[in-house]
Amino acid sequence: MTRYLLNRAAGAVLVMWAVATLVFFMMRIVPGDPFAAMLFDSADPAAAEALRQKYGLDQPIYVQYVKWFWNALQGDLGTSIYGSRLEVSRLVMEALPRTLSLAFVSFVIAIIIAVPAGLIAATRRNTGLDHSVTVVAFLGLSMPDFWLGIVLIILFAANLQWLPAIGYVPLSEGFWPWLKHLILPSIAAGTAFSAIVARMIRSSMLEVLSADYMHVARSKGLRERTLIVLHAFPNALIPVVTVMGIAFAILMSGTVVVENVFAIKGLGRLLIVSIVNRDYAVVQGAILVVSAIFILTNFLVDMLYTVIDPRIRYSK
Amino acid sequence: MTKRTRKSHLADRQRLAETLKDAYDFDPRDPLVGLTRDQLSGSSLDRRTVLRLMAAGGTLTAASLLPGIGGPGTAHAQAGGTLTCGWAGVGELTTLDPHQINQVLLFQISSNIFGGLTHIDANLVAQGDLAESWTISDDGRIYTFKLREGVTFHNGDAFTADDVIYTYNRAIDPEKSIHGAVVGNVASVDKLNDLEVQFTLKAAQASFLVKSLERSSGRAMAIVSRGAIEQMGDQEYGLTPVGTGPFKVLPRQLGQGVTLEKFENYYDPERPKLDKVVIRPIIDAEPLAAAMEAGDIQLIGGNPVAPELVDRFLANPDLVVDEVAAPGFQSVWMNPHRDPFKVADFNKSVDELKQEPGFKVRLAIAKALDRERYIKQAQFGRGRPAFGTINPAMGFFFDEALNESSEQTFDIDAAKQLLADAGYPDGQGFPEIKILTTPAQRREVQVIANILSRNLNIKISLDTKDFPVLIDDFNSMRWDMCRLGSGGDFDPDDGLVDWMRSDSKFNGRTRDKEAMPFGFFADAKVDALIDEQRIAPSLDERKRLVQEANKITSDKVASAFLFHPADIQVRSTRVNFPAESRIPGLVDLDRVTIS
Repeated sequence: MTRYLLNRAAGAVLVMWAVATLVFFMMRIVPGDPFAAMLFDSADPAAAEALRQKYGLDQPIYVQYVKWFWNALQGDLGTSIYGSRLEVSRLVMEALPRTLSLAFVSFVIAIIIAVPAGLIAATRRNTGLDHSVTVVAFLGLSMPDFWLGIVLIILFAANLQWLPAIGYVPLSEGFWPWLKHLILPSIAAGTAFSAIVARMIRSSMLEVLSADYMHVARSKGLRERTLIVLHAFPNALIPVVTVMGIAFAILMSGTVVVENVFAIKGLGRLLIVSIVNRDYAVVQGAILVVSAIFILTNFLVDMLYTVIDPRIRYSK
Repeated sequence: MTKRTRKSHLADRQRLAETLKDAYDFDPRDPLVGLTRDQLSGSSLDRRTVLRLMAAGGTLTAASLLPGIGGPGTAHAQAGGTLTCGWAGVGELTTLDPHQINQVLLFQISSNIFGGLTHIDANLVAQGDLAESWTISDDGRIYTFKLREGVTFHNGDAFTADDVIYTYNRAIDPEKSIHGAVVGNVASVDKLNDLEVQFTLKAAQASFLVKSLERSSGRAMAIVSRGAIEQMGDQEYGLTPVGTGPFKVLPRQLGQGVTLEKFENYYDPERPKLDKVVIRPIIDAEPLAAAMEAGDIQLIGGNPVAPELVDRFLANPDLVVDEVAAPGFQSVWMNPHRDPFKVADFNKSVDELKQEPGFKVRLAIAKALDRERYIKQAQFGRGRPAFGTINPAMGFFFDEALNESSEQTFDIDAAKQLLADAGYPDGQGFPEIKILTTPAQRREVQVIANILSRNLNIKISLDTKDFPVLIDDFNSMRWDMCRLGSGGDFDPDDGLVDWMRSDSKFNGRTRDKEAMPFGFFADAKVDALIDEQRIAPSLDERKRLVQEANKITSDKVASAFLFHPADIQVRSTRVNFPAESRIPGLVDLDRVTIS
């Protein structure tokens, strides 16, 4: 197991290095001068030159890369060159709790909707209930999150005035203020995932329910509820957990559209704004963090397999 | 109406009539419109002087004299309370350091935090802010300011002449500031004593008070706190800057918007009225509208309100939609170094230029650009046609007649004839050209392409690029056509000096100068007129020179001028926004109250 963990850690470092390197060079290949927009209003060519020197952008690209890589190894991701000029690590760490909150609540909402819906659809196969769940799931998948977000805002914020339309309040300011700002964006972000997970639970459950050991369990006289909850559902979880892991990783890397609609400055928005502004250091730093989140989530999902199915063992 | 209020109403009407009579009491042939040179330049302009200038410029109405917006739905609120604002079209308010900001939506906020030596009023005339009064030497090169006494920064430090000098030195340091060029005409700044400071200019500059010293538009001379910067460092100062303005910034995290709090020791004890202002950036139009309708926010600042939302706001009885002319212009630029727009030299008369095929095409496009249709379809009826850089918010300098007298005046038959004369009858053989734009402007640029296709039977495709790429290309003249314009133009220099001089900062700044000796436009007469208006001895003379330069740029099609945007402010009826604070392009909240 230790060897397996070391292998995974080494693989993770390699993937992060590859991603960071790719992003570093891609950002410099795409057209657009990071100072052109910032200094558009300034007639002073010295200002652009001074900034280029200050941020080392006047140096050859390989020198920039080596410097950036060396600093990143020591935990220094550089500073933003556009606007705030704050450290990238600070910008990322300030955006992360918002993304984490949104991802967590979206994930919980997705699970709350998906698990019962998937189970009902599987156990009531080919009934009206199953068809209803299927239709609702397809609706959930088909609705663009920005559209759903706007509909939710108009309905619950503008008309009913039950929940705030926009913004984010940190958990430190209270649980309810935090949660009520997250309910609408989380429904918008989580609906599509709940539909995917519900469909996955349904198909996985149907496969398990038709397995021989389920027939044996049934013939032993087990109650249907015990059969489903204790025997079928845990065995149907492996593919579901894989999908849930991917969903969580995507939510964690920032749902840009939902963040825009609800004016929540999370990782996704930080990344998009930085790409548009050609804020190299922030893009590189944020993508490094996003790739770390993806790798960590994948790893946790793999570990979860061993909990769900004790037969699975990692030895290499 | 009670007897007492009826009486006071009559008194108000009488006072209004007398004020109007006094404002118009001058000989129209008098270049100083009955004012003395001292009144115009010796100190901050008084109310009577401003009203006289507005009357002379034809922009004075009875409505200008009313103390508030008036009309139904206006709040009558007391001081205090919290105003929550949505800042449109922006995801993050990164820095508020005046030396680092370059967006109108940011200097709208900084104008509430910082003081400057001057600050423009609702008529874009410079008034004393931290300067109590000033004198100008006869040659127009030396400005001596008497500073307001007893002013303090938000951190308690006293404001003195040293702070003016510190701000100037920081403004010209390219590592600290991107606005050094704004004060590039300053030769030196000298402290005469703690409360007197003297600016010596390299050359006279009529726009100096508005363009260089104004607290929000110039940004270079928004007075920063040396003590705070030294204590906090530049980065933290950008997050929670310390100024002398009516509001101070509460500690904040990026991504959480900005909260401003009343500065109790502001030099005017009557201001600010509000206890607190919460500013929330909202990037998308629909959530912004929903937040307004839900009452989550009570005022919209930031980027212009999306025009498609305005009618919806107008239909809402709980909201006030207040529209004034915005200080800016928008244009369709044509590259004179590329076919079919080639013009080798603009230094010819318009008649001579009209003999050249490239100029004929430029003029044909400018004349076929149905601006009314564009404004209706692309801007939902908001804004007015543009024929030059000088915008209607500049009132006194704006040339109302240019829409009739410009060569660019809409004339579809003449446009078709010009195109035919250039060798493209009914658009036949016209090359397919691209118009450079940003993703956000795609819809409205498509309207332009459709209008030109319909009117001239030519095909224009869209070339969409992110803003930094567009700017890079624009500066290097790598485009056929480009849709770009200017905002925050409070002085004629913002249009003429910044855009229309052969060496202006936007005029092909990074082009290959050997291949392209000039940028998008260069005309020696326009350059001379621009230089002359900067040292004009009187406002009327300056106005004449500005309008002449403006007309030449229009007639010679420096660009196909498109429209002057409208500044639309949307607010709750609970918010009272006095007329004197309704400065085009800005959102000054110091006199605002909420019920």
